[in-house]
Amino acid sequence: MTLIEIDDLVVEFQTSRGTVRALDGATLSADAGEALAIVGESGSGKSTLGTAIGALLPANGRFASGSVRVDGVDVGALDRQGLRALRRDALGFIPQDPIATLDPTQRVGRQLALVVRALGRDASRAALAQMLDEVRIADSADVLRRYPHELSGGMAQRVAIAIAMARRPRILVADEPTAALDANVRREVLRLIFEAAEQTGATVIWLSHDLEAVARWCRRVAVMYRGKVVEVGPPGVVLQRPEHPYTQSLIAAMPSRLQQDVPVRTYTELLAAQGAEAAAPLPSAPAPDRARASDPAPASADEEARA
Amino acid sequence: MTLVELDAVTVRFGTGPRAVHAMREVSFSVDEGQTVGLVGESGSGKSTAASVALGLRAPTTGAVLFDGQPLRRRRMAGEMQAVLQHPMWALNPRMSVAASIAEPLQVRTRDRGAVRARVAEMLDQVALAPELGARHPHELSGGQRQRVAIARALITSPRFIVFDEAVSALDVSVQAQILQLIQRLQAEHGFGALFISHDMAVVRYLADRVVVMRGGEVVEDAGAADVAAGFTHPYSRALLEER
Repeated sequence: MTLIEIDDLVVEFQTSRGTVRALDGATLSADAGEALAIVGESGSGKSTLGTAIGALLPANGRFASGSVRVDGVDVGALDRQGLRALRRDALGFIPQDPIATLDPTQRVGRQLALVVRALGRDASRAALAQMLDEVRIADSADVLRRYPHELSGGMAQRVAIAIAMARRPRILVADEPTAALDANVRREVLRLIFEAAEQTGATVIWLSHDLEAVARWCRRVAVMYRGKVVEVGPPGVVLQRPEHPYTQSLIAAMPSRLQQDVPVRTYTELLAAQGAEAAAPLPSAPAPDRARASDPAPASADEEARA
Repeated sequence: MTLVELDAVTVRFGTGPRAVHAMREVSFSVDEGQTVGLVGESGSGKSTAASVALGLRAPTTGAVLFDGQPLRRRRMAGEMQAVLQHPMWALNPRMSVAASIAEPLQVRTRDRGAVRARVAEMLDQVALAPELGARHPHELSGGQRQRVAIARALITSPRFIVFDEAVSALDVSVQAQILQLIQRLQAEHGFGALFISHDMAVVRYLADRVVVMRGGEVVEDAGAADVAAGFTHPYSRALLEER
């Protein structure tokens, strides 16, 4: 059953440098209970797509055309009340930097209690400790007393998962959930996310820049480039037999596939070499230096690089 | 020929019961023209190892040798350079690209014409258009900035360069280009390199030898070709199987 339907979505941001198109006709759907990865480099629009599901765009962003449907309901047409209900009941977010998203002034226990009380559930110490046990935090009683800055990245991400899952959301959007974590806790955190989602039947939308990493966990991978979904398919197919030239160039650039004597050219460079309209950049956020990327070829060489 | 050698280096911060060991009896070496990859996560001591190798931090005990001699930072400064993760922080935002690249050379020579010529040569080496020399760092993309940082490091013809997470902040395709650039420059200039990263795939691509650090200690030191079979420590196995 299709839970999320994104159809030809165009999202624009008003910036001091004019209108910026973050999504340029993105189309994608996800079934209930599915684990779907959205892969793209910075500026591809994957984060915008992730937030568009809950219409959680920043104040300067808007749906210019197209639609997002969750369970058949057009998110763009919802009023304030409806949107709040959707976000509250259906959506969970797992952030990239968990320490930054927890309230630095409150102990972990208090933040969990806030979530649980709003649900009318038991907010006793024992119940809160139980929540942390479920995300495999060993010394849960001690962690409840800690402030976010006293947590390691992996521990903070587990707390964030406990908070996100408390409501048993139907959709779990994880935006690079392991990017800020050390290698040996990454797998554990991912396992937690996918196990929790499997138990509750939640749909996972995992936003990532790492095609190889998502291939191990997701049944389907969508590749985004410049505000469009350019390719969707099972990871085996996308990795082994990519159709779109952008996906092909992305795969060729992965460090594990990189070859010494085959110089990598970014897809943007390839387009520019072919004289296509590669000079029109589509930054995802107001990035001041991107506006100059329309200079002649060498200047735009690696414009999708992060700062 | 051994270029840089860390011999049983221990770095301790603080004293008494609260002392923290950033490095414990760490030994490894970088040969001339060789790339040693140093892998570890935050807190493993890899960045401390980098600053010790560059002579920016004195070991508490142990020794650092450059060319077989005890390292003297002041005399050898031009022979060693570093490229860091965030070129935006490493480059002076108020200086033009050309001025930034010229700076390490300017403190050594007064011949302005020679410096200008050398800057042009460096821009060409890192495949940046000459007109970019007039730009400022904020006008460049992340990949271009990293190229500037590399040009700046290369201008004194160093024999040893430390790359500290130099490609970590870049997108995959740009990262690939910078890796290939480093490789080409190394083949042309023959500098020894200490390439620090948390990404095993990146290190395996570039390095001749891979050293893994954990909790301030070296837990693995193997030739890049032997990594898959030679790594025995459970942590380094996890790094290989990661993702």
